[in-house]
Amino acid sequence: MSVGQVRIRVPEKAKPGEVVTVRVLVTHPMETLEFKGGKPVVKNYSYIHRIEATYNGRKVFEAETTQAVSQNPLLAFPIKVSEPGTVRVTFHDTDGKTYTGQADIKF
Amino acid sequence: MDRTRKGFWSARRRALKLIGAAGALSLGTLLPLHGALAQGAGMPQEDEKIADTMKRLFGNRSVQEAGERLKLDAPMIAENGAVVPLKIDAELPMTKESYVKNIYVIADKNRRPMNARFALTPDAGKASVATNIRLAATSDVRVIAEMSDGALYGTKREVKVTVGGCGG
Repeated sequence: MSVGQVRIRVPEKAKPGEVVTVRVLVTHPMETLEFKGGKPVVKNYSYIHRIEATYNGRKVFEAETTQAVSQNPLLAFPIKVSEPGTVRVTFHDTDGKTYTGQADIKF
Repeated sequence: MDRTRKGFWSARRRALKLIGAAGALSLGTLLPLHGALAQGAGMPQEDEKIADTMKRLFGNRSVQEAGERLKLDAPMIAENGAVVPLKIDAELPMTKESYVKNIYVIADKNRRPMNARFALTPDAGKASVATNIRLAATSDVRVIAEMSDGALYGTKREVKVTVGGCGG
């Protein structure tokens, strides 16, 4: 599995006004800080620090994450849907890279 | 005859020693090599005590006991502190006037207790999130819901972390 691969799962069909749960998984090492003799080891480590989700371009969810989130972060969040559309989830890591995944919700 | 047999065994022993040495060497070279150059992004942040974290995030606002209104699903015993699944369900209003703005996950004994913050909008429909977190040691995991008007509701659960997954 390559870093930054986003897998996203939504219900196949939804009803208007229904609250659907979006489950999303991203492959990322989420490196932690290592210590040697009480001093942090200097290395170029990175982790995802911001997650954003939009529905039809409208922001619905945001998260601020730290290194205390597990490797290959898994996330589930709700959206109340009133029309069919596309969920787009973007992960930002401290290297400045972004990883995006999207899924369609049909009615 | 006797001598040749002895010779054979000692040669065999020597050969075994050699193999062992080769094994140790290859292990040494396999060890991960660190030391890549540090760049600006993701630079280490200072350690923080739980009281300082609470003060930084919430100032002097007091956190009300949420009781039934905030449910936290976490394992009683996490065999692997690297992956602790959490599920948070809030029975709090999610309307345009009053909604859960932020959900904070705070682990008391982590180096930096603030684990994650989830920002919601009334479009979420309900305040319910799930994720996996890391725990450094057995500690309380607090979940605090911040309402749009600034009210704070909190709940906590102790999660035991067993090192090496050997139970107890």
